Amino acid sequence: MTDALFEVRAVRYAYDSLPALNGLDLTIRRGSRVALLGANGSGKSTFLRLLDALDFAQEGTIRFDGETLTPERLDDDAFAHSFRSRVGLVFQNPDVQLFNATVLDELAFAPLQLRLEKQEIRQRIDHVMNELDIAPLAGRPPHRLSMGEKKRVAIASVLVIDPEVLLLDEPTASLDPRSQSEIINLLAGWSGDARTAVTATHDLGIVEDIADHCVVFESGRVVAEGPPREIVQNEELLYRTGLLHAHRHRHESGVVHSHPHLHRHGDHEHSE
Amino acid sequence: MRRSFIERTLAALLRAMEHAAASERLSGGRGFLQSVDPRVKLLGCISLIVAAAVSRRLTLLGVLFVAVAVVALATRIPAAQLLRAWAILFAFTAAIALPALFTTPGDAIGSVAGLTITLQGMRSAAFLVSRVETSATLGLILVASTPWSRLIAALRSLHVPAAVVLIISMTYRYIFLLLRTAEEMFTARRSRSVGALRPAERRRMATSTAGVLLGKSMTLADGVYDAMRSRGFRGEVYLLDDFRMRSRDWGAAAVFAAAAALAFWRGLR
Amino acid sequence: MSVPSLCSLCLCGEFNENTSAPNTSPRPRLMYLTCHHMHIPDGYLSPSTCASLYAAAMPFWAMALRRLKRNLMSRFVPMVALVAAFSFVVMMFNLPLPGGTTGHATGVAIAAIVVGPWGAVAAISVALLIQALFFGDGGITAFGANSFNIAVVGALVAWVAYRLIAGNAPLTSRLRVVAAAVAGYLAINASALVAAIEFGIQPMLFHDATGAPLYAPYPLHIAVPAMMIGHLTFAGLAEAILSGGVVAYLQRADLRLLCGSAPDAADETASAAVMRPLWIGVAALMVLTPLGLLAAGRAWGEWSAADFADPAARAQIAAVSNNVLPGNVPAGLAHLSSIWTAPLRGYAPPLLQHAAIGYLLSAMFGVGVVVLATFALRLLATRERSQ
Repeated sequence: MTDALFEVRAVRYAYDSLPALNGLDLTIRRGSRVALLGANGSGKSTFLRLLDALDFAQEGTIRFDGETLTPERLDDDAFAHSFRSRVGLVFQNPDVQLFNATVLDELAFAPLQLRLEKQEIRQRIDHVMNELDIAPLAGRPPHRLSMGEKKRVAIASVLVIDPEVLLLDEPTASLDPRSQSEIINLLAGWSGDARTAVTATHDLGIVEDIADHCVVFESGRVVAEGPPREIVQNEELLYRTGLLHAHRHRHESGVVHSHPHLHRHGDHEHSE
Repeated sequence: MRRSFIERTLAALLRAMEHAAASERLSGGRGFLQSVDPRVKLLGCISLIVAAAVSRRLTLLGVLFVAVAVVALATRIPAAQLLRAWAILFAFTAAIALPALFTTPGDAIGSVAGLTITLQGMRSAAFLVSRVETSATLGLILVASTPWSRLIAALRSLHVPAAVVLIISMTYRYIFLLLRTAEEMFTARRSRSVGALRPAERRRMATSTAGVLLGKSMTLADGVYDAMRSRGFRGEVYLLDDFRMRSRDWGAAAVFAAAAALAFWRGLR
Repeated sequence: MSVPSLCSLCLCGEFNENTSAPNTSPRPRLMYLTCHHMHIPDGYLSPSTCASLYAAAMPFWAMALRRLKRNLMSRFVPMVALVAAFSFVVMMFNLPLPGGTTGHATGVAIAAIVVGPWGAVAAISVALLIQALFFGDGGITAFGANSFNIAVVGALVAWVAYRLIAGNAPLTSRLRVVAAAVAGYLAINASALVAAIEFGIQPMLFHDATGAPLYAPYPLHIAVPAMMIGHLTFAGLAEAILSGGVVAYLQRADLRLLCGSAPDAADETASAAVMRPLWIGVAALMVLTPLGLLAAGRAWGEWSAADFADPAARAQIAAVSNNVLPGNVPAGLAHLSSIWTAPLRGYAPPLLQHAAIGYLLSAMFGVGVVVLATFALRLLATRERSQ
C-alpha cells in the first residue's frame, strides 16, 4: 500500500480538437483533502471526470491505488464494482444527478446497482438521511426541492455508498449563503484517515474550510500547489489565474474605488 | 380576442404543472383508496376499465359510472373538480357523438329540424359517453389516490421490464424540468414585442424554442448517463421492490376483482 | 364559460379557458382531460381492437429495446427518457400556422431524425403512456392503439420519408429541412389514417342487439375523410412546420444532433432483424382479423372520389370534421339535412360479403403501411451498404 491514491502523469485530454488538459501531473495522497482551484475552463471538471473514470486520458496515465484506469479495466466487473464503491462524484448540476422519481429512490440507486443486501441498503439510507437531515424529504420528487435541498440530496446519494474518495464539482455554486455554509460544514465534517476528498471550486472563501492542500489549475495544467493559506494569500498567482478580479466598491464615505475581491461569503475578507 | 400562440402554450404548460401538483396533493392525503397498495389499484382500475369497455348494456354502464363516482368522492377528489372534468368530457364526447344520432341507420324515434333521430343513434351516443366518462373517472381515481412514483413502480407488476420502469420515471421527472424551461423561454419571449412579428418569424420563434429544448434534453441525457455510471449503473437496472400486501390490500383486491367479474358477467349477457 | 373547439373526429380537442393563471390558485385543481392533444380515449375502440393493437405494437417495443441496448449500450436509458420528456412538452406547443390559426404537433418525426426510428418508437410510446396514465390524455386500454398509430407507424414512416428524400445531402443542406417537413407531414397523416381505419371498422364489427354501434359510431366512409381533412391540413401542417423548423434550427445551432441521420452514419436499420417484429405484428393482426369478421355486420361504405366531388358529401365531411360546437349546431345540421335521406339509408340490409371485403381491405391497408415502410427501410439499408 502506497501513500499515493491517485497518480496522474502527463495526462492530456481534448474535446474534439479543444484541449482541456495539457500534460497534467499530480499526486493525490490517501486521506488528503484537496481543493482544485481554477477559473472556468481551466480543466477542473474534466479532471474530475477522469478521476471518476467517466472519461479516460488520451495521453499519459492515471493510476488509482496502483491500477491504471482504462476503458478495458472498467469493463471488468470486479474492478468496476470495487471502483464504483470506492469513488463517488457529486456533479455540479444536481438536476443531472437527481434523475430518480423521489429522494428515497435516489438514495437507493447506487447501493442497488452495487447489489448490496436489502437490509444493508435500508440501514445506509436511514443513516445518511439522518446525517444530512433530509429524512423529511424522502418521498418528495426532485422538482419539489429547493436548490440547497437538491445539493444535499445529491451529496447524500453519493455518501450512501460510503466511498473512500469523494469528488465534488463546485459544491457551493449557485447556493444562497445559508445553504452554502451548511454544505461547507458537511464537507468539513467528512474526513478521516481513509477518506479522501477532491473539490473543484473557484470559490476561494471556502478553501481553508474544506481542504488541507490546494492545487491551482490554468489551461489544463497545474501551475501551483501548496497549503490553502499560502495559495489564498498569493495575490499575484490568483490574479494571473483569473481567480481574483478587481471589485468596485462603494464605501460609506461615498468614495468609490476598486480593490481585489475574494469570493468569500459571510465575513468579507479584503486585501487591499 | 384570440390569444397569441405564446399565451396558449404557456397556459397549456401551466395546466400540466397544476394537474401534477393537484394529484400530488391528493395522493398524499387521506382518502378511501390512498393507503391501498398501488399494484392493487392499478390492476383493479384497469380491469374495471376493461369491464366498462366490454359491456353491451347501457344500464350496467350507468351503474358502473355511479359506483365509480362514489369511489371518486371517497378518494377525496373535490366534487367541483369532478363535475368540471365530467362536464368538459361530456361536452367533448357529445360533440363528437352528436352527428351519430342522425347518421346511424335504424328505427326512427323522432326528428329535429327535419333530421331523423334513430334509436340506434341515441344508444350509440349513450354507449360512447358513458364508457368515456366511466373510464376517465377510473383513471382520475388512480392518479388522485397514488403518488406517481409509486404508480410507476407498480408497473413492475404488469411485467414491464425494470429498464422501462426506470425510463418512465425518469421521463416524468424531467418533464417538469423541461416544462419549466419551456415556460421560462416563452415568458421571456412574450415580454418582447411579439405582436409585431410577421407569421414566418413567429413560426421560427416557436420552432427554435423547440430546438433549444431538444438540445437541452440531449445534453441532460448525456449528463444523466454519466451520473448513472458514476453510481455503479452498468446496463442492468435494479429497483427498490418493497411492496408488501397487507390484509387491507387483499380486501381491496377482492372487492375490485368481484366488481370487475360481476360487471363482465352482466355486461356480456 | 369554456367552449370546446374541436378540430375533427380525430379528437385533437382544445379547450380554451378564460381562467386566471392557474399557478396563482392556492389549491391546485386537477386538470385531467383538459390537455391540448387528445389521443384515442378509452371507449372509442372495442376491447378486441385494443388487444390486437397491443399485440401489434408489442414486437416493435421489444425490437426497439433490443436494438437500443445493442447500439447505445446502457446510454439508451437516459436518452429515451429525455426524448420522451421533450416530446411530451413539445406536444403542448401551440404552433402558429399560415392563415392565423394554430396547431399542435407530436414531435415524432424530429425524434426519429435525431435518435433514429427505434429510439423514436420507444420515446414516443413512453410519452404517450405518461399522457394516458397521469394526464388523462388518451385511454389506458387504447394505449396500445395510440402507440401503434403514432409511435410505430409515425416513427417508421417519418424515418423512411426523411432518409429517402434527404439521401446523401450534406447535413446543412436545405433539402434536409424539406425532407424533415415532408416526413412530419406524412408521418402524422399515416398515423391519422390508421386511427381512422380503427375507428371506421368499429360500427360494422360491434353493435348491440338493436344494431346500435357499441364504440366509435362512424363507418369508414365518414371516419376516414373526417380524420384526414383535419390532418391533411392543420395537424399535418403543424407537424411539418415543427419538424422542418427544428431541423433548420439545429443546422444553425447544434449540427451534432443531426449526425445520427448523416449520410455516413452507421445505419441502425441495416439488419434483417428489422423484419422480425414486423412479421410478428402482421401475423398477430392476421390471426385476429378473421375473428373480427365473425362479428361483421354493416357494409363498408363506398366512399370514393365521387364522394369528394359531391358537394353534399363534402358538406357532411366538413360538418363532421370542423366546428361541431354546441353553439352552432343548428347551422351544422342544416348542412347535414340534405344528405341523411340519400346514400346511407340505401345500405340498410348489410351485405356480409361487403363487410368482409371492406374489413379485410382496411386491415390489410393498415398493415400495408407498416410493411411498405419497413421494406423501404431495408431497401435503404442494403443500398447504403452496397455503396
